Amino acid sequence: MKRLLPLNEKARSLAAPAASQPSGEAALMSNVVGCTTTFDPGWELDAFGGMANLCQPIEADLYGCTDTCWWPAQLADLVNTSPEWSDGKNSAIRDWRELQILFPED
Amino acid sequence: MRIWLALLLALTAFSAAAKDLIVVTTRPNMLHVIDAEARKVLHSHVIPGPGLPANIAVPQDGRVAYVLTNRTESVSGIELDTGKEVFRADMSEGDVRVKSMLAMTVSLDGQYLYVHQIPTRMKKNEYEVLDTRIAVYRTADGVGARPVRTFAAPRRIALLAPGATSDRLIAMGWDIHVFDATRGAIDKTFPLRHWQRAGFGEPDILDFFPQFEQTRILSSPYYVPRTDVAPTSPEAMQMGMLTFDLDAETMTTKEIGNAELVFFSSVINPVDRNEAFMVMNNLFRVDLAAGAVTGRVPTRTHYSMNISSDGKEVYLAGGADVISVHDAATLRKTAEIQMPGGSDQGGTSIRIVRR
Repeated sequence: MKRLLPLNEKARSLAAPAASQPSGEAALMSNVVGCTTTFDPGWELDAFGGMANLCQPIEADLYGCTDTCWWPAQLADLVNTSPEWSDGKNSAIRDWRELQILFPED
Repeated sequence: MRIWLALLLALTAFSAAAKDLIVVTTRPNMLHVIDAEARKVLHSHVIPGPGLPANIAVPQDGRVAYVLTNRTESVSGIELDTGKEVFRADMSEGDVRVKSMLAMTVSLDGQYLYVHQIPTRMKKNEYEVLDTRIAVYRTADGVGARPVRTFAAPRRIALLAPGATSDRLIAMGWDIHVFDATRGAIDKTFPLRHWQRAGFGEPDILDFFPQFEQTRILSSPYYVPRTDVAPTSPEAMQMGMLTFDLDAETMTTKEIGNAELVFFSSVINPVDRNEAFMVMNNLFRVDLAAGAVTGRVPTRTHYSMNISSDGKEVYLAGGADVISVHDAATLRKTAEIQMPGGSDQGGTSIRIVRR
């Protein structure tokens, strides 16, 4: 470690002794930082384990979910990390074919 | 005598001329004003800045709509007649990101705006969770407004509603809290998730839709397990209706049947306050006193709803790009109002302004 010198601000903050910083208190977040850290059963099953309560048509639910960070495991995170994912595609029923799969590097 | 008669006639004429205006938002960042009776979009205003509008709040004079937008980090006040942005509060500052999970409202007199805020300090390698709070803005401060005060508020608040006076504020989350907004303290709490009812477990509520202006009664469907029947019984999960009188600050709950379908939101009929409507994939009419469903029709998916001032029409909004109009007596669908540009409404509020 003696031969490694921090070159930027982030590296310097990492090199600072951890003991000199107050220990953080873990608290439940009221709003997640990344939508994909939320898990909720998705569009496959409804709240009763059936299919009768899935949205009609299912695309009607797409932006109702993404815009409020809901059912995000199956959807892009429009609130935090991928805000431009649906730009120009404002009708899910007509535009869903143009919505692209996101990969980690995106 | 003649003066009084003239005044009476003038008031009658004014009342007759007043009509219901529907206010909704669509993607990417639009606010629409619709003549409900004519099924006609009167104005489509662009909300400045980044989009995804959601919650709408309108004071009683019906002149300005306050919209939570910018991915729930800003509130924009848009003059309904002109589209001019007359108020804006951008809540995030510096390294503190401030979002609101849809809990925002304005006092009835339009003087104060209340937002339940979720601040997070965005550090390099850590997100520091800060305490949730309610921020109070003076609407007269216009564009660039900053909170005149903040006070502590519980987490998981999804809906705010104005009380009878500007110092009363109702917050719904796991429980319903009534704040004294001047003191910044909780005055009363009505337990929901923490209720202790013999034979019942904890209720589950998904409702962030403010649609109480026609009656001043906040209502919401809820689901609750029964603990006094076998888990395999059809009666083991019940659906019910919650009502909260925003002026009297009183709450009622009533089970209305076995949980078979999902409902997102509800509204009370201003002409018959014993009658409620609920919506998601179905439109239900409910007799609140009897705790019984009195009518049902399937619909396309709508999240939010509201009702005409005469109680004769129900408007279903949210989700895709149409507002469905249903007859309150027969529940039959009578019209559709297409959103301009075919844009989706997503989780929009639907508010009724009468003027």
